[in-house]
Amino acid sequence: MTAPAEQQPSPVASTGIKSDLVSGLVLVALAGYILWLNQKFPVGSLADPGPGYVPMLLAIGLGLVGLLVAVMGGRSRPLAAIRWPEGTRAVIILVACTAAGLALEYIGYRLTIFAFLVFFIGVIERKPPLPVVLVSGGFSLGSYYIIGDVLHVPLPVGPWGF
Amino acid sequence: MKLKHITFAVFGALAAAGVHAQDAFPSRGVTMIVPFPPGGVADTTGRPTAAIMEKYLKQTVTITNRPGAGGAVGNAAVANAKPDGYTMLMGLSSVSVIPEADKLFNRKPAYTLEQLDPIALISADPMILVVHPSLPVKTVKEVIALAKKNDGELSFSSSGVYGALHMPMEMFMHAAKIKLRHVPTTGGGPAITQLLGGHVTMTAGGPAAISPHVKAGKLRTIVSWGDDRHPNYPDVPTFKESGYDITYYIWAGLFVPHGTPESVTKVLRDAVRKGVADPEFKSQMTKINSPIKYMDAPDFQKYWDADAKRLAAVVKIVGKVGK
Amino acid sequence: MVETFNDLMLGFSVAFQPQILMYAFGGCIIGTLVGMMPGLGPLAGISLLLPATFGLNPIVAIVLLAGVYYGAMYGGSTTSILMRIPGEAASVMTCVDGYAMTQNGRAGPALAIAAIGSFFAGTVGVIGLMLLAPTLATFALRFGPPEYTALLLMGLFVLAYMSGGSMLKTLAMAIFGLLLGMIGIDIMSGYTRFSFGIVELGDGVGIVSVAVGLFGISEILLTAGNQDTPQVQKPTLRELIPSKEEFRLSAGPIMRGSLLGFMIGIIPGSAHIISSFVSYGIERRMSKHPERFGNGAIEGVAGPESANNAAATGAFVPMLALGIPTSPVTAVMIAAIMIHGISPGPMLIQEQPELFWGFVASMYVGNLVLLILNLPMVGLFVNLLRIPYAYMYPCILAFCILGVYSVSNSIIDVWIMLVMGGVGYVLRKFHYDLAPVALGLVLGPMLELSLRQSLALSGGEYGIFLERPIAMTMFGLGGLLLLLALKPLIFKSKDWRSKVGLEDEAD
Repeated sequence: MTAPAEQQPSPVASTGIKSDLVSGLVLVALAGYILWLNQKFPVGSLADPGPGYVPMLLAIGLGLVGLLVAVMGGRSRPLAAIRWPEGTRAVIILVACTAAGLALEYIGYRLTIFAFLVFFIGVIERKPPLPVVLVSGGFSLGSYYIIGDVLHVPLPVGPWGF
Repeated sequence: MKLKHITFAVFGALAAAGVHAQDAFPSRGVTMIVPFPPGGVADTTGRPTAAIMEKYLKQTVTITNRPGAGGAVGNAAVANAKPDGYTMLMGLSSVSVIPEADKLFNRKPAYTLEQLDPIALISADPMILVVHPSLPVKTVKEVIALAKKNDGELSFSSSGVYGALHMPMEMFMHAAKIKLRHVPTTGGGPAITQLLGGHVTMTAGGPAAISPHVKAGKLRTIVSWGDDRHPNYPDVPTFKESGYDITYYIWAGLFVPHGTPESVTKVLRDAVRKGVADPEFKSQMTKINSPIKYMDAPDFQKYWDADAKRLAAVVKIVGKVGK
Repeated sequence: MVETFNDLMLGFSVAFQPQILMYAFGGCIIGTLVGMMPGLGPLAGISLLLPATFGLNPIVAIVLLAGVYYGAMYGGSTTSILMRIPGEAASVMTCVDGYAMTQNGRAGPALAIAAIGSFFAGTVGVIGLMLLAPTLATFALRFGPPEYTALLLMGLFVLAYMSGGSMLKTLAMAIFGLLLGMIGIDIMSGYTRFSFGIVELGDGVGIVSVAVGLFGISEILLTAGNQDTPQVQKPTLRELIPSKEEFRLSAGPIMRGSLLGFMIGIIPGSAHIISSFVSYGIERRMSKHPERFGNGAIEGVAGPESANNAAATGAFVPMLALGIPTSPVTAVMIAAIMIHGISPGPMLIQEQPELFWGFVASMYVGNLVLLILNLPMVGLFVNLLRIPYAYMYPCILAFCILGVYSVSNSIIDVWIMLVMGGVGYVLRKFHYDLAPVALGLVLGPMLELSLRQSLALSGGEYGIFLERPIAMTMFGLGGLLLLLALKPLIFKSKDWRSKVGLEDEAD
């Protein structure tokens, strides 16, 4: 199969490593990793496929497609042309969410979400203290009331009872 | 920066307040973990049980569904919970199968049976073998004869490998020395659907689940895995009567993490004992078509041990599928 | 016909009792709210409400739950359109063009068309259910593993029409999704695959946490750090109402989506999730301007939204006519009736005419309630876009964590969502389309299972797929579709896809 979209001449002057070369090779590596993991599972036969059969086929497929993406990606944008202006913020968001996930079952839902919102709206976005406290407090208590109290979802409660 | 300091100060104060004196059990709400999604047997048994225990514990009993991995997620959550009696498990018979299957596959076990202490058995129901009505068989003997004639071409559906519908069928196949094709599905409902559509030949079904289809003539009962005849199916013989010494019950029982103090388990056991005798509970259980089979901890422990041993043996016989 | 009419009158006499009407209304409102929570979809909604119905009578219980179910189906589209967060699996396709419409300032029409499409589809579904339930149910039972395999394979062929980008990348993402679907306990053998020792992964990665991560979180990661954060929108009344052109474009997709969704919905199993994907693929294929898809084509909202609502009604057919729980949602509904001592079975319609006809009538009422409720709410919802982004995105993140956590009280789902958010962010940077991942994840486990079930049934003979007429027909149809999709590649004619590709690369 060919990839019509990738055949188009790219408007960007093509120098350096191509983005598709990189992403294609990452897919090949992923396929290799899956094949390696898949060794543990019996493959079986075409008539009686075991637990490893379909993953093996898929991993091989992913490897082939990845290879094609890499090979045909000659005219894609150079890797260096991909800008990451929001990269730092993206990492901060992911780290903060992870921290919130870790804290959730230890200090309870309301406290976690309050701290989480204060961090984003107050520290990152530098909004004035009053709206920060109002939004954070209102959100954490309000959502707990609706989901926890009204809908009876057992949300985590901290050691202090809230 | 200032904000951080305030937060820490608040945390500190709260931590100090968190250490409170130990009161008589239960001093706060109790959680009952149901390792299956809402609507399943464990859930429909757990809800009336929780409601009635609330009445006698004089504290709220909240149900938390922790479904996943055929019950392993919820079972493991209770097995590894703090043994203070505030976390209970409404476990099904699959509780004993999961660690065995883990052993078979050399997996790090999610939990072991030693990590759970029984409180009480709540209900138990035998499985019943049903076939598609187009099949020209009415008794076990005929089923076996047909299976032998069509060497290995008859099939049965189940709720998944080592699941509650698979285990009794394996017992049957082993006892009758027959071979059937196994078609696992994603649950009890889909397993019956496969049979109703005539895609498979037979399945093991819970008495409540098959009842409307049997009444409508869409399924035919053959034999039950019970010790005695089922009160709702007096015409269906048992395997024991037919000369095969196999029994299989789906049961639901209450567990706490191992190491829960006796003073605490006693309170819970008392609450269940009073609860199961309550007419309110009885009528609820009749409505969901689930027979109460109450056993207090010591009897339940014996029952559980015997059941676990039997199931472990079956798991070993089945071995790894698809090796 | 007269009989049906009389039965229906009986149904309406039940449904118009003030108490039942109230619960239908309440259910729709609760459902809409639950559906709007990211991660909490119809299944979570009715599971949460199930315990509350134990004290009610069975008709009220099932009417309430059906209202919640419908409401959640609808509510899911609201967050998809406004924030690119799929409330449930069936809204994934709505995220693509619905959110693009919001960015073009057409959030109002998108929401309105979703409401109207859902209403139409719901009504078509109820009429189908009422007139044809027993017949259709018997037909639906003929769908065994081989037929299912054929159906799912056809679903996979839709991929060819689904995405505007590179075909290779679409394929890569679909395979990635299928592989994600391999995680968890293999139902056929009991092996736990690719779970890295995490017990919670035994049931696989949930489509909801993956979809919320891939679409919702990745969108926030892309926009939150931008210098020019999204402009606050101040929609005027005129912008809330779909234009004549938009109505004209939506009519066909709504009708096709409704029929298609209902047909897929009646088939036992969870295949109804694919109805929205299939509808999207069909609309794109049929459109004269496929390049508009992905950039805010209203057909891309109208079709899938109608399809998923019709499928939701279709799923009740086997439940009511045969009493079998064919999907997790209907399993909960059946539990809600059983708890009152009614065992639903093939005789349900005869034995409990008030329950069945009351339910049917209350579905008419519920659909109407949702339309009345939601059309005026469009204005309210769109005004959410007035909230400055600095306040908006932290709250969306908190909602995502809350919603995804609540589905099964599991923090693992939150981790899956975050990982998928990061993966989705990077993939979008590299111009990979994400919808095929969702389709792959939905299809993967079902396709593998039904294929292996078929082989278990036949003892390893592939002939089983050729012996069964329904499976045969579908394979034939699927092959034809595949050939049509490949034709432009083989004959090197200028395919519409390359035109789309041009625009894609130039951005």
